[in-house]
Amino acid sequence: MSSPLLSVANITKTFPGGVVALDEVSMDFHPGEFTVILGENGAGKSTLVKIMYGIYTPDKGSIILKGREVEIKSSLDAIKKGIVMVSQIPQLVDRLTVVENISLSLTRIGMFETMTRVRRFFKEVSEKIGIKVNPDAKVWSLTYTQKQLIEITRAILLDAMVLILDEALTYLPMEERRKFYVYLNEFKEKGRSVILITHKIPEALEIADKIYVLRRGKLVGALDKASANIDKIRDLMFGEAAKTITYERFTKPYETPIGDIVLNIRNLVVEGDYGEIAVNNVSLSVRAGEIIGIAGVVGNGQRELLEAIVGLRRVREGRVIIDNHDVTNKGVKLTRESGVGFIPDQPLRYAVSADNNIVENVAALFSRKNFVVNWKSMRELSEKLINEYGIYPPRPEMHVKLLSGGNIMKTVVSRELEYASKALVAYNPTRGLDEATSTFVRRKMKEKAVNSKLAVLFASEDLDEVLQLSDSLYVMNRGVLYGPFDPVSTPRSKIEELMVV
Amino acid sequence: MRIVLVRRKKPLKYGGLVVALLSLLSGIFVFTIFAWLIGVNPYPVVETIVTTFIFPGVVKDFIILTLLGYALLIAFKGALWNIGAEGQMHMAFLVSIYITLIVFFTTEKSLPLYISIGVILLSIVAAVAAGALWGGLAGVIKAYAGVDEVPVTLILNYIAYFIGDILVYGPFRGKYVYGYARTDLIPDPYKLSIPVQRQLSGNALIDTVTGYMAEFATYAVWLVALILVLIFTYWLLNKSNIGLRIKILGSNPDYLVSLGYDVRKTMVLTFMLSGAIAGLTAALYYHGSLYRIEYPLEYNTASYGYLAILVAWLSMLDVYLVPLSAYIVSAVILGSQRVSSLPSVREAFTRLQLGGAEMAFKLLMFGSILLAYSILRFIQDYELKVVS
Repeated sequence: MSSPLLSVANITKTFPGGVVALDEVSMDFHPGEFTVILGENGAGKSTLVKIMYGIYTPDKGSIILKGREVEIKSSLDAIKKGIVMVSQIPQLVDRLTVVENISLSLTRIGMFETMTRVRRFFKEVSEKIGIKVNPDAKVWSLTYTQKQLIEITRAILLDAMVLILDEALTYLPMEERRKFYVYLNEFKEKGRSVILITHKIPEALEIADKIYVLRRGKLVGALDKASANIDKIRDLMFGEAAKTITYERFTKPYETPIGDIVLNIRNLVVEGDYGEIAVNNVSLSVRAGEIIGIAGVVGNGQRELLEAIVGLRRVREGRVIIDNHDVTNKGVKLTRESGVGFIPDQPLRYAVSADNNIVENVAALFSRKNFVVNWKSMRELSEKLINEYGIYPPRPEMHVKLLSGGNIMKTVVSRELEYASKALVAYNPTRGLDEATSTFVRRKMKEKAVNSKLAVLFASEDLDEVLQLSDSLYVMNRGVLYGPFDPVSTPRSKIEELMVV
Repeated sequence: MRIVLVRRKKPLKYGGLVVALLSLLSGIFVFTIFAWLIGVNPYPVVETIVTTFIFPGVVKDFIILTLLGYALLIAFKGALWNIGAEGQMHMAFLVSIYITLIVFFTTEKSLPLYISIGVILLSIVAAVAAGALWGGLAGVIKAYAGVDEVPVTLILNYIAYFIGDILVYGPFRGKYVYGYARTDLIPDPYKLSIPVQRQLSGNALIDTVTGYMAEFATYAVWLVALILVLIFTYWLLNKSNIGLRIKILGSNPDYLVSLGYDVRKTMVLTFMLSGAIAGLTAALYYHGSLYRIEYPLEYNTASYGYLAILVAWLSMLDVYLVPLSAYIVSAVILGSQRVSSLPSVREAFTRLQLGGAEMAFKLLMFGSILLAYSILRFIQDYELKVVS
């Protein structure tokens, strides 16, 4: 066996507040190998790669690159040493073109390439992966997939020896992901190493040569391709909780009774961030106790549609009627006060105040009407949500910025589900959550819809989720809504086709 | 093995207190070195500064700066950089002057108590409203026109100064001012300070203690206001919904939006609360110590509105540390004034042909302390660690 290209040895990292993110973790990454690091939310996956990429400094332990112990001072330093990371959220400048973005990162590390050469190279790579992107297009006009492609192309242009993908492929549609795999396989054959961080086991099994499993900051398993299977990994990742994971439907569509129309959307036309038509003449209605799911690849207008429904975005044409009241362009306050819970895209940016603690974040929603906040009851409510959803660490006074991404998501989801009394509008309600927690959240959504007669409208990039949860489903593509479809009888291929064509 | 800088897991115990005190000490140290370099004996310099910390003359500035510190603390918590306390104070002065010197002017030496109290209360309420409106104006410009609040509040300060200048030259000019551009003195019945007579004993310790007692007695009403404002600020930020909104505004306004709060209104409200406390401070200062305003207007406040920015920062936006940091700032101002009027310092300036540079010398100490503060503030959050 070849000697590893990159190793981490006995890495320990503790965060402010005393949360142990990593505890004596050691891993080897060999040339020509595709390594996947799996773990539930808050297992320490992101922390580990951020250490390898120079974003965090470990408390203890060492990083060994090509047999020599190295110190990675910053991301720039990591890039110079050949370690490049692509994260879940594209880090591109929206107002610049594709080529400009790529040249920008090259000059930052002191490499100089002409725009022409960058353009040529970019075309080569994108043709290979089979996604057409105009190198002179402004980044804002591109889809999420295209942006991720640019990120990966950039990493390759930076001459990465070790390519780290932090959930970078997780939200790509299956079709696109496969194309990336082909390219990444070619990349690793050149004696390079790919590290993929994910909490999705099927994704890991698709491609991994080697799988490491992290649990609560400890390395609990190292498997090779032959010995890995989904049940084994689930056991390692979740322990007892593995048994709760399911993608089976909780009930048949419309098995439980539904009531009157709560959300009524009529001929909605909504503009996107750059004035383009993002939602084109969309109509749908959701009844009390009914769950409607919208499938679609990211960037096809789902975000704009949901934002317009809750009043965060101006409606250009059409009407939004909630509980028989016309709330079109009347603001978020009104929708919130009529009992609508809302889980937005990018919860960290729109759904929490990171410098405040969990209780304050909860109180901001629940004590909206009180001049003096009843802190005692808010604390009790926070404790209830923490216990019910297993938010870790279980401290109501913990500042939200000190929680892991998954735990922040749990804080948001639990709060909004608790608040919703008429309807829940959600975008990717389980994004960034591990399988056990995702199943739990979906179960909660279902329970809440049935027991509290909640009208649930959600959009998700995860088709399995839409199929598992919805009574009826729609597909959204380029601002147009297709459907409704029956989630059980409609062939999956038909839905997938509608998503990308 | 290497040395790295990492964020502390837990903030330093008593960190705020330690940082404030240490920055003070190191600032004084740097200042003394400088004095020594220009040929001034460091001993009297240090002695003067240190004794200023136990000098009754500090009390007045301390109370005013604490009040203003709270005014700014509220705005800063919402990440609204209100540097307009000066303007808010001046607008408040003007309404107080209108009420006490125009509407209810009297030459009587005393009036029935209920009239005195009534006029003073009216003046205070009007001053609070004026401060709130002037602050709110900055808030409206920030929230609805999207102009950054720093230049806006600064410009509003000058507008307030100039409005005052016009008024002091015109309708507000006093009848008994011998041609000076100033207002009359506030009528005696409207004065808030309590005159205290004391005999010096000749014993330094006893005189200092009685001196403090005399000052506190003189400004007793201010002290009551200070305690009320402290309680109000604490309550606002930790108990009320408005305070919670202000804190979230300071951290993530997008979250406020998705909760359905009106971010613009919250901004205006925050500015109004901040301006209201500045207005209250102005009324107290006018009734209790200033007694009149004169041209040019900016001299009337001795830059309190700007010094309060230092107070708020030095307190690290901690409600409990505001009085401490106000005390430090007041002592440092007074100390540096006293140092620059020391005979040895004056002599050194003359020798170096730097006559008139006392003002700059005064500010030097301030600079040294702030520098030390910023370094220590960093150490409070970060620590050096040896990684093996």
